[in-house]
Amino acid sequence: MQQQTSTTTESLLELTVDRVVEDPNTDTWILVLSRTDGRTELLTIWIGAAEGESIRRALDTLVTPRPMSHDLIKSFGEHFGVKTEQVVLTNVKSSTYFATVYLESNGVARAIDARPSDAIALALRCRAPIYVTQDVWDRRGGQNLDAWLSKLAPKNIGTQEV
Amino acid sequence: MITQMQVKGLMFDPYNNAYIVILRDEDQSEMLPIWVGKSEASSISLALESVAPPRPMTHDFMKEYLNAANAKVISVVITDLNENTYYAKIHLTYEDSEYTVDSRPSDAIALALRSQAPIFANESVIRKQISEELDQWLENLKPEDFGKLDS
Repeated sequence: MQQQTSTTTESLLELTVDRVVEDPNTDTWILVLSRTDGRTELLTIWIGAAEGESIRRALDTLVTPRPMSHDLIKSFGEHFGVKTEQVVLTNVKSSTYFATVYLESNGVARAIDARPSDAIALALRCRAPIYVTQDVWDRRGGQNLDAWLSKLAPKNIGTQEV
Repeated sequence: MITQMQVKGLMFDPYNNAYIVILRDEDQSEMLPIWVGKSEASSISLALESVAPPRPMTHDFMKEYLNAANAKVISVVITDLNENTYYAKIHLTYEDSEYTVDSRPSDAIALALRSQAPIFANESVIRKQISEELDQWLENLKPEDFGKLDS
């Protein structure tokens, strides 16, 4: 970690995408992140449908006939030799998570503000590590995903049109 | 030969449950409709209306990515149409070199609008898509159909 170009000095926890699921009640998806150090707690982030599908395709290593938006960003990087170094979830304010994407362009480190969905969709395609600050981890919401999912299930069945 | 095109508007296509970006050339004699997905349509709509969302959307992030790398979008070209799939090229400069990157027209247009870069179409694409059926269908559309997205 000391070798990273990150300007963040506080301690970072590495995350991996556990899964991405569609919320059938709304037009949103739920991104479920888990820690790589074996801890069982999760971090859940509500994201847009297009970004959810993009992350799903990256997890499934599905190649579409035409490049999708995040494939295009990756393609820019490949053409220029710009490397996506890492992605850090840096803040959470009123349930909105903020991410920073760290790039290395010609020996110069650059940081870009992004939504976690775009940052992670790109990170998965570039095999860049995903981190969260200890502070954001401690302040994460939706900690009890199982409870949420069980609450969702009956309602879900009830609203189904058969 | 390429023709410079302007984005004239966005429409919802209820038959295909998709959105259509309407490109027209400067003297309004040629029209090129491009079918795009919902999220790409809403991204193009935000750029047309110069709306800055509270958080960067995917194409805003794409633009910031290019800014951070000091890469500049010169132009985009809708290059080909094959079995209802359109192809586009994005022309950029990075470190005094020129690059051409393959993309979907929707991404190319969403990025061009945010980069103040011109949009071109190959004349072969414009010719290819002209079918009487489509022309008639587009002519029958009322001006109010060219509305804003209600996403």
